[in-house]
Amino acid sequence: MSNASPGAPLDSSNDPAGDQTGRFAIQPNGRPRPLSPHLQVWRWHVTMLASILTRITGSALYGATALIVLWLGALAFGRETYEGFVDLAGSPVGLVVWFGLTVCLMYHFAAGVRHLIWDSGAGLSPKAADLASHLSIWFGVLASIAFWALLFASGKVAL
Amino acid sequence: MSPVRKAFRKGVKVSERHGAGEWTAERLSSLILVPLTLWALWSAFQIAGGGYDGALAWFSDRVNATVLAVTLLATLWHMNMGLKVIVEDYIHTDGAKGLLLGLNTLFCLALAAGSVFFIVRLALGSAPLPAGFGF
Repeated sequence: MSNASPGAPLDSSNDPAGDQTGRFAIQPNGRPRPLSPHLQVWRWHVTMLASILTRITGSALYGATALIVLWLGALAFGRETYEGFVDLAGSPVGLVVWFGLTVCLMYHFAAGVRHLIWDSGAGLSPKAADLASHLSIWFGVLASIAFWALLFASGKVAL
Repeated sequence: MSPVRKAFRKGVKVSERHGAGEWTAERLSSLILVPLTLWALWSAFQIAGGGYDGALAWFSDRVNATVLAVTLLATLWHMNMGLKVIVEDYIHTDGAKGLLLGLNTLFCLALAAGSVFFIVRLALGSAPLPAGFGF
């Protein structure tokens, strides 16, 4: 990082005195330091979107796991409890929730595989990283539609 | 071992706390969950629409019950670490951070205990709850 080295010549990008970008702040010790850019400063990019979606879908899946344990509990409490649970889960609102959670799972799954590939050191060029991000988003949507199309087509789920 | 030798290995600074271990655990749990998630999707497709009897029949297969328990435990481990990172990223007050991290772990442990308890009962074909609890 040439800008960070103490002897680097100042130009419009790193001179706090001539700062027209608002990127510098005076720290408590009185010295100007560049601000770290936050979300609203960045130009949206697909790798950034994919990263944020991974966290959001992961949070949603936290709740999904709780629902799965609730399903296990309903089953363990016998036929009446289970059928009550299935009525709720199979209602239109329930199906919308399950579909949304399926998208979260499919996307988070693809994003996880993407991250494992990246962590191995492969696919880290901007082009490859963009492609992997696009692919995981498309996979999340298309695999969920395919999964639910199969469920409806086989008659296992009906509205 | 002197503190200096502890902090460096092969000339590379080693985390003095626990960063590297958590990083590895996150990757390991992801790796384990790749096949288990595919299996869970396949299983969900099998169970869907089968009703109460169909679900019980699925659990009577010990392989299903065992792999489901492993899947849920790996998932709970993974999501506990995931929420931990989120809390550490956004909550900077020590008290609130500690409280949330504690609740996260308590919640995951409760779900783990619940899952194993329900799965064992279902696999053994136990009478529906609350049988056995004096009701």
